[in-house]
Amino acid sequence: MSSHAKAAKKFIADRERTAWHDQALYFVREKRDKMAHDVSEWEELREMASRMKRHTISNLAYYLDMFERNATANGIHVHWAKDAEEHNRIVYEIIQKHGGKNLVKSKSMLSEECGLTPYLKARGVDAVESDLGERIMQLMGMPPSHIVLPAIHVRREEVGKVFEKELHTEPGNSDPTYLTHAARAALREKFLHADIAMTGVNFAVASSGAFVVCTNEGNADMGTSFPKVHIAIMGLEKVIPDYGALSLYIRLLARSATGQPSTTYTSHYKKPVEGQEMHVVIVDNGRSDILACTEHVNMLKCIRCGSCINTCPVYRRTGGYSYSYFIPGPVGINLGMLKSPEKYSGNVSACSLCYSCSNVCPVKIDLAEQIYKWRQNLAPLHLAAPSKKFMEKGMKFVMEHPGLFYPAIKAGRIAEKMPRFVLYNSLDAWGIGRELPQFAEETFNAMWKKGKMK
Amino acid sequence: MGSKEEIFARIKAHGVDQVERPEMTFTPLTFPEPLVQFEKILKAVGANYVLLEKGQDVNEAIRKAYPEAKTIASNLPEVTCATVNPDKLDDPRELNGTDVGVIRGEFGVLENGMVWINQHTRYKALFFIAEALVVLLDRNELVNNMHEAYARPDFDDYGYGCFIAGPSKTADIEQALVIGAHGARGVTVILQHPPL
Amino acid sequence: MKLVTNYYIMKIGLFIPCYINAIYPNVGVASYKLLKSLGLDVDYPLDQTCCGQPMANGGFQKDSAKLAERMERLFEKYDYVVGPSASCVVFVKEHYPTLLHKEEHACISSRIFEICEFLHDVVKVEKLNARFPHKVSIHNSCHGERLLHLSSPSELVIPRYSKLKDLLSLVKDVEVFEPKRVDECCGFGGMFAVEEAATSVCMGQDKVHDHMSTGAEYITGADSSCLMHMEGIIRREKLPIKTIHVAEILSNGL
Repeated sequence: MSSHAKAAKKFIADRERTAWHDQALYFVREKRDKMAHDVSEWEELREMASRMKRHTISNLAYYLDMFERNATANGIHVHWAKDAEEHNRIVYEIIQKHGGKNLVKSKSMLSEECGLTPYLKARGVDAVESDLGERIMQLMGMPPSHIVLPAIHVRREEVGKVFEKELHTEPGNSDPTYLTHAARAALREKFLHADIAMTGVNFAVASSGAFVVCTNEGNADMGTSFPKVHIAIMGLEKVIPDYGALSLYIRLLARSATGQPSTTYTSHYKKPVEGQEMHVVIVDNGRSDILACTEHVNMLKCIRCGSCINTCPVYRRTGGYSYSYFIPGPVGINLGMLKSPEKYSGNVSACSLCYSCSNVCPVKIDLAEQIYKWRQNLAPLHLAAPSKKFMEKGMKFVMEHPGLFYPAIKAGRIAEKMPRFVLYNSLDAWGIGRELPQFAEETFNAMWKKGKMK
Repeated sequence: MGSKEEIFARIKAHGVDQVERPEMTFTPLTFPEPLVQFEKILKAVGANYVLLEKGQDVNEAIRKAYPEAKTIASNLPEVTCATVNPDKLDDPRELNGTDVGVIRGEFGVLENGMVWINQHTRYKALFFIAEALVVLLDRNELVNNMHEAYARPDFDDYGYGCFIAGPSKTADIEQALVIGAHGARGVTVILQHPPL
Repeated sequence: MKLVTNYYIMKIGLFIPCYINAIYPNVGVASYKLLKSLGLDVDYPLDQTCCGQPMANGGFQKDSAKLAERMERLFEKYDYVVGPSASCVVFVKEHYPTLLHKEEHACISSRIFEICEFLHDVVKVEKLNARFPHKVSIHNSCHGERLLHLSSPSELVIPRYSKLKDLLSLVKDVEVFEPKRVDECCGFGGMFAVEEAATSVCMGQDKVHDHMSTGAEYITGADSSCLMHMEGIIRREKLPIKTIHVAEILSNGL
């Protein structure tokens, strides 16, 4: 069994929770549909957004360089990190230079990717997550299970319990409004006393040297309002040519992600205010190598909206933690494989090839098509499960020889079972929750031979 | 070789085929009745909409919207009901506890209820820390969509700017929508006639 | 292309995928009867096995090449290849050009149709003599919908359409419904069904219950594989709903 299949089985064992998780995410998907349908030019918008990304990727060095030049002219310090280690070191050095101890950060999947928080913690810097979902997960001591909705798998009672312990909220009170406002009050103190602010970057506008951060809570802006230092971190694929391109992505991002016409705050940072230092760390960490994978280069188009995750029927029923890569769902399956096939091939089975992800993607990434391609590549990489390979070989042999196929069916019928070549040692797996198909008295082939069909 | 050079060398080595910048081939959303749409979309994103009559005093409208407010922070000269000029404070942290912040919006976007705020205050903290935010907006400054928004000739003229669409919100606990995550719990957009 | 000219009647080769051959031969019979009733010249090339999809979806596309060559030989002489399985048809259509290293025009990819697609788009049927006095819930299968375009995917902002609905509207006395999640995957997915059995079953149960909540007596669709998976669940749980291939409804009473 693949690593995902094993973890999924565990998650699904609690059917009531699975149904709740599935419905919570499907609700987000439905909100997205409604938003998309309000924009009559939606499909053309997606097409243009996709091509704009392709254009950007094909001129990546050009736009990155332009961004650096303009940002520097604006007074922003630009840093380059080839990998996670260098990223962490750069961030820590900036903090150290300012004697920072309390860092307040908005959500960034890149910091998760680089393991920044534990890195800083080991060096005496406390990095507080300020996005509510991220903060819940931080207080629970667990990673986010979704890239946009970090605590989507957590029930309100569990949040209530953790807040009771950490924030001293009323015992037993699990009202979302009450809990949110308790977190608001507690984090307000963190904001006011932070000495370093960190944000992610949704888009870096090359023509202007500005970067854009999108939040609903206002936590990124609140965070950058008090400390003297603002460090923004970005994967190098976040660069876009100009405001014309930005208009496409701002229209698509929130509608696709959460089914809102826009995020509440779409913040544009261009120049540090007097007395403040602004840093941007541009991180590669394997991204430039994706350029070499012709079949998967489209992954660099991703704007991290999470819509492919929300629509994925497998993800909805198995939860983010069933994936071994830190990004779940179709996007995570693909990015995980690009990171390390050896480590993350256990997620490739988590797809029924329904293709819904490819249809919701605002930049038209061929997510399902790419998963199909990864499967073709598992055998050459010697990563296909041996039992699966054996089953497949037997099946192929019989199918290539009709003289074996029809007798095999006959044998199978007598035994009132699927013939072994079809399911081989998977009879048990099929039998979980399903009766085996029954063979007909006669195949269509036999009927035709006997002239029953004239 | 520095990291930038290393990264650029890799990008160059893996170079993908040049693709032209795409042209816009569609007509984006427009709205025949801007004020009707703006009221509708502001409500949808949780903001209040106030349309001032000619000659009506903005202070009256602010007071009416937030009768309980004790501290009103604004650096706008016409906001005479302000109790604090935030630009005169030494530390933005002093803004904590502000009931209402009053700021100017540059233009509104009809497709999503965003209002563009260009930072003309000493501290941007005001936009987020006040319990309620009042945005004054010229009723003629409404664009249909983001394409029009970013195409405005003076758009890039900012150091920090933010599109704000309604009050701060979150749905991070069980997808239940809660207003007032970190920023303002209420946003009122007051549409004014252009000054004579 | 006209199907019938004064001189020549287009030859249709019936493509009966392996599991239909073995488990649902009645779907093959229904397809044959249906096409015949429209005055078409239908033939079945003997000894068909499998198109290769199960291996390919499981990650062994290369191993499907021999099967593709077999298929190509068997169907060489037909003008159209028509099969009652959207998933298999779309596999042949999309992947055979790569498997056979041939340009599209040289292989059966350009001539193959799923039977509903064929009736709707090529034959353009306007009248059927079928009657089916039952409530049915349409199963919009993933490959039928998102790859073969038998209906409009709910994710896309395009005009709504459904070729199955159009065809079923020609059948007397049938009442047609659709589940609430109109095109959610049922969880079959070929090898996925056994590789990720727990998830597959969970998806299948959810889907069957969604179909049941329409009040339908039957789940119908253009993919016997999805129907087989859901039937397995229905039989295990003894649920009050049945599965039936859409070709069986369209040919009912002929």
